Amino acid sequence: MNHPRRVQTDSSTVNRRKFLAVTGAGVAGGALATMLDARQAPAQIKGTTLRILQWSHFIPAYDAWYDRFAKEWGDKNGVKVRVDHIPHLDIPARMAAEFAAGAGHDIIYNGSSILTRLYYKNLVDLTDIADAAGKKYGGWIPAARSLVEVEGRWFGLPIFYILAPMLYRKDLFEQNNLKPPDTWELARVAARTLKPKGHPTGIALSQCADANLFWRSMCFSFGGTEAEPSGENPTLDSKELREFLRFAKAIFDEGMTPEVFSWDDASDNRYLASGIACWVHDAISAYRTTEDTNPPVFKNTFLGLEPQGLPGKRVSVAAPNVWMVWKFSKNQQAAREWLSYLIDNDLEGMVQSRGYNMPYLNDRYKKPMPVIGTDPKLQILQDFPKIVAFYGYPGPSTTPIQEIVNTFVFPDMVTRVARGVNIEEAIKWGVGEYRRIYAKHKRA
Amino acid sequence: MTVRSSSGGPDAASARAAVVSVGARVGPRAWWRRQSSQRLAFGYLLLAPAVLYVLLLVGAPFLFSLWLALSDANVGEPVASFVGLENFGAALESDVFYTALTNSIVFTVVAAIFKGLLGTTLAFLLLQPFKGKKIVRGLVVIPFTLPISISVLSWKWMYDSQFSVINWFLSRIGLIGSYGSADWPVWLGQPHLAFAACIIVNVWRNFPFSAIVLLAGFTSVPTEVIDAAKVDGTTFMQRFRYVVVPMIAPILLIGFLFDTVFTLSDLSIVYLLTQGGPANATKILPVLAYQVGIQSGALGRGAAISLFLFPLLLPLMILLLRNIKRREY
Repeated sequence: MNHPRRVQTDSSTVNRRKFLAVTGAGVAGGALATMLDARQAPAQIKGTTLRILQWSHFIPAYDAWYDRFAKEWGDKNGVKVRVDHIPHLDIPARMAAEFAAGAGHDIIYNGSSILTRLYYKNLVDLTDIADAAGKKYGGWIPAARSLVEVEGRWFGLPIFYILAPMLYRKDLFEQNNLKPPDTWELARVAARTLKPKGHPTGIALSQCADANLFWRSMCFSFGGTEAEPSGENPTLDSKELREFLRFAKAIFDEGMTPEVFSWDDASDNRYLASGIACWVHDAISAYRTTEDTNPPVFKNTFLGLEPQGLPGKRVSVAAPNVWMVWKFSKNQQAAREWLSYLIDNDLEGMVQSRGYNMPYLNDRYKKPMPVIGTDPKLQILQDFPKIVAFYGYPGPSTTPIQEIVNTFVFPDMVTRVARGVNIEEAIKWGVGEYRRIYAKHKRA
Repeated sequence: MTVRSSSGGPDAASARAAVVSVGARVGPRAWWRRQSSQRLAFGYLLLAPAVLYVLLLVGAPFLFSLWLALSDANVGEPVASFVGLENFGAALESDVFYTALTNSIVFTVVAAIFKGLLGTTLAFLLLQPFKGKKIVRGLVVIPFTLPISISVLSWKWMYDSQFSVINWFLSRIGLIGSYGSADWPVWLGQPHLAFAACIIVNVWRNFPFSAIVLLAGFTSVPTEVIDAAKVDGTTFMQRFRYVVVPMIAPILLIGFLFDTVFTLSDLSIVYLLTQGGPANATKILPVLAYQVGIQSGALGRGAAISLFLFPLLLPLMILLLRNIKRREY
């Protein structure tokens, strides 16, 4: 009988202790990875209630999915989730009321008007979640940071933004030998040609979100800016602004009707869907509305990138959407877990919104993207993140900028010009309002 | 002493004086034991709930808004510091404020005139005997009872630049051209039309209230008085001017007061129809205060803008309430 021979091992060979250590670590790591992968929330959130306040999405199917998705996550993690939807214009008032009361929802949503800088002292720091998501998905698009970052910390989590491409009638353009509206000048020529034929264009010149967004896109594409990169001071007064206003006056006179003075955010959708508009500059809700209500027009509706103002200069001002967590929330842990889960599934949100929700994370732009990557007409949207900007461009979304947006100073300045007020006079008024509002906030 | 004093005789006077002096030594009853004081206290006790209600629900918010207007409060800062009249000065620096102030006054006055005319006409019509009068009386208050957001959104559709049912009707009967023509009105896009459109909705919504108030007044006038005036040979307008109006003046003035306050402070109609556009043509003080104070977070400046309504309303209130008091018999 042979005695068992002791096997000599060197440091590179495996002994029992080492085996156990390695396999133990492997199993633990694997379990952790599995847990992270499945995003199993910690046990302490079990039995809690998570209350979320957000807007009523323009795509109702998204809300239905969101509510179901949140409930499923809640069921899986033992959290009772309640989602309340209200119109996005009511969010600031509700937010003020909840803050004053020190009670309400755990998670609150902001759309278009992002109030992070106003409330940041009362919001939970979400930098760790943002950093983790950034690392995992190739970083955030450059404009994301400006929405939620205050003093180097992220007090909100951007989940999606809404793009506004050019939507034009290819049939009308081709019939009239017009080139696709790749520059604002081409868009103007098309409007000038097609308006006399019963197909004008339109961009809202009223007090609505579209007016705030789209005229800024045009102005910034002409080289205009709204504030310094630091956000400290306004920079509106410039020769680029004058050039933009001259162009805006021309495109209004030649290609639009006074209807635009009365428009709300859905009017351009109806304008395109009715078959009247030769082009509109709008979110893809206009495309979807046309798809649902007027198939022949839809067949001929194509999308274009943000037109260039100056050669090679495209800036597309998008409507941001951000989620925040109140400091007074008694369920911050569950709120953080839910937001981490939501950002992991932002592409599913994009699918459910029929391509309406655009993600902020770079890796999400690997082509083909869901929905928009498979629709030849929508594929162009995949190229937008490089040119996306938000209010306050090139600076952040500061509190004076929010007041300027909420009191519609920028579109009102353009409206004055469109109505025949001298450009210098309109600029004097607009720049004066910018300076006055900035001065008030600085004093405060 | 008492026996002798009660028996009369020469000592009777001194005895009475003694009784009086005994009483004088006891002294007058404490003021809180007096019947008049107790009645007064009871009166105040009965009044207390109403006073408390006014103090808590009107006085406290008013004082709070006054404090906000004098501070640098914003929606995200729980602590604010005193800045004096700076917020009022800031409002006066902006020409949008003057536009909003002018619009608020014009809006209230013009709407009041139309509500008065239409309300009076409707009240007179509802006084006449006709079949189904009770049903009609019920129906006319519908605009006043509908949720404001729903009714205003319906009007928004009727004013739509492309699909306005008003325009299509006017076009069909030949009063305006077809869609796309120069005389196609853009209700919410042309400054004067947009302003008129907002006033129309306010009048439509509130004139039934005026009618009901007036109806209540008219029915309280004794028919004998009217008949006597008829016997005296007065015309309808003379009876209305010299008999009915003086008799129902307190009701009219209270109705006018309510309507003025409601109209001046009404945010919903303008906010839902135009948000104050185009280019501030329909901006009124409540909308501006909301946009600055709540949406932009500058609570102090928002409160200051809304408090500009107070000096507008106060003299009017004093005048009206004095007038009503003078008419009390």
